Amino acid sequence: MPHAWLNSPILAQLNSGVIVVDDEYRIHYLNAFIERHASVQLSEVQGKSIFAVFADLPEAWLKRKLMSVLDLKTPAFSSWEQRQYIFKLPHLRPITSSSQYMAQNCSMLPLSSEQAEQPLICILIEDATDAFVYQQHLSKTLIELERANRQDGLTKVLNRRYWEEQLKQEIHRSQRYHHPLSLILFDLDKFKDLNDKYGHLGGDFVLVQLASFIGSLLRDSDLFGRYGGEEFGIILPDTSLDGAIEVAERICLAVAEYPMLFNQQTIRVSVSMGVAELIPKQHLLHDDLIRCADMALYNAKRAGRNRVCSYLAGETEYQKKVN
Amino acid sequence: MALPVLICDDSILARKQVRKSLPESFDAEFQTAGNGLEALSILRSQEIGLVFLDLTMPELDGIGVLEAIKAESIDCFVIVISADIQPEMKKRVMELGALAFIHKPVNEEKLHSILKQYGLI
Amino acid sequence: MSTLGFSEEQRDCLQEIINVAMGLASDKLARFLNTFVHLQVPSIALVGASHIPAEFENRYQDTEAALVSQGFFGNEGVRGEAIVLYQMENAHKISALLGYEVGDVSEIEMLTDISSILTTTFLNGLADQIENSLSYSAPRVLSSVKGDMSALLKNTSFHWEHALKVDISYQLIDHSFNCDMILLIPGEAVTNIQRILDRILEDY
Repeated sequence: MPHAWLNSPILAQLNSGVIVVDDEYRIHYLNAFIERHASVQLSEVQGKSIFAVFADLPEAWLKRKLMSVLDLKTPAFSSWEQRQYIFKLPHLRPITSSSQYMAQNCSMLPLSSEQAEQPLICILIEDATDAFVYQQHLSKTLIELERANRQDGLTKVLNRRYWEEQLKQEIHRSQRYHHPLSLILFDLDKFKDLNDKYGHLGGDFVLVQLASFIGSLLRDSDLFGRYGGEEFGIILPDTSLDGAIEVAERICLAVAEYPMLFNQQTIRVSVSMGVAELIPKQHLLHDDLIRCADMALYNAKRAGRNRVCSYLAGETEYQKKVN
Repeated sequence: MALPVLICDDSILARKQVRKSLPESFDAEFQTAGNGLEALSILRSQEIGLVFLDLTMPELDGIGVLEAIKAESIDCFVIVISADIQPEMKKRVMELGALAFIHKPVNEEKLHSILKQYGLI
Repeated sequence: MSTLGFSEEQRDCLQEIINVAMGLASDKLARFLNTFVHLQVPSIALVGASHIPAEFENRYQDTEAALVSQGFFGNEGVRGEAIVLYQMENAHKISALLGYEVGDVSEIEMLTDISSILTTTFLNGLADQIENSLSYSAPRVLSSVKGDMSALLKNTSFHWEHALKVDISYQLIDHSFNCDMILLIPGEAVTNIQRILDRILEDY
């Protein structure tokens, strides 16, 4: 039998694939691992081109790799991180793994033996599916972790910490490039009453729905975050006061007309909104801008709720409550 | 009569290797040089029949030595033995009048057959 | 250059072996790439591995650099890690020569291929001369953003004691391309290498 020297009980038991080809890519040998996984018989494929036997091989790439092994008599490698697989084979754990094909680490080694009449290349295929699947889970977990770090758990808008960070950055950017920047702070009118009437579940429900609804009204560049229990903030880069007021009024109106269905009851809410534009000379810290928007918000409440108020330059204190 | 031979290479090991690769029957008197300038100084002051020349040496390299030998019409055979084995280099060396170019690590058989071919043994 | 206990003869022997290995590697590469390749080894230096990061900090500090590492294992306790460092712009030049077209393969794959070829052809040439043979682990890229090179090298060389620093310059027919190779070797491997060098010197 040709290549008897390749047949060994070790190769038959090995949990990795071994394929031996020559300089014309014809198969001289493959081990039991390959026979089983690829459903081929050595006796049937011996002498045939590897490209005829295995479907979808990256032909040009593989030929170049194999040629380099022959020419230089040095090994070549491919890891699953570069190419998930070279040979399309099902893997060992079809139930628990999410990937359909075996992820592979391949080594291509020059075979030099006195018993080989011509130069041969040994392709060693190791199953790296576990590493591949693990890596995918890890990536997914990391993404979720990152999202958790930024997201408010309930409403899925930005959480306060991250949102404030973004505000600082936007203020920086605005001052550097001399672009306008505006801020809207708003909260739900009479939220406490809502909670009393519909329970905390109802309150949460409203927050979630509203956040989603308002989010859909914003631009991609706007940064929407949850500032407090029922208080939210929107950072509007490249927006002057007029533009921000327009956005706020649109939201205010839309919210007032937005019915939410909870436990077969229709709930309607309204918001009070305060708008302020960044005045670089006056607002030295991000807190200053927030305070101005907050003042405007307070004024909106005081003026009867369900409305928008803007911060007027020069205002330094909250209006006294008019009984 | 013993042939005056100069082995020129900056590596002690390489000089030893050349020496060792020569046939036992080779009747020669050996001198060594560690760089091209040393080699030329010996070549200019004495009769040297055969030079084994490395290419990469400090002070003056093998090419420099070959050029000087040619320019000054120094009468000797030169066999280049070098680690730098690319065809371009070989061509250049032969054009400068070397007898042969052998690459390192030295193949004894090849060396012997060249020496025989040129009647040196 | 620190010789870390190498005698003058041993150092000379090692230098010569490395020069010949480079000659063999450059010849192989020239045929493979179909172009004139000149590999120069101006110097080798044997240093304590902890010195390595500082050595390369200057050269790679402000550039986008990449680092590819590959383990090698041979007989008689010869083993270590080979690291090839380059500036990314240089890597692009040689990829074209290797027949890669833009977008053909990922940058990482291209880097590992080049490094593997450079490392294994050279080390095989070395092994041949000391009548040894080597097997290699798959190359892995530890690519670097600006300034990270030093930290990467510190991490890698941390558990090795010695480093053989081999400065390689490639000159291709119409480009010049530079990279550095470091061979990191554990303490006992240095002793093994010295023993092998002595044996070679004895033969002569």
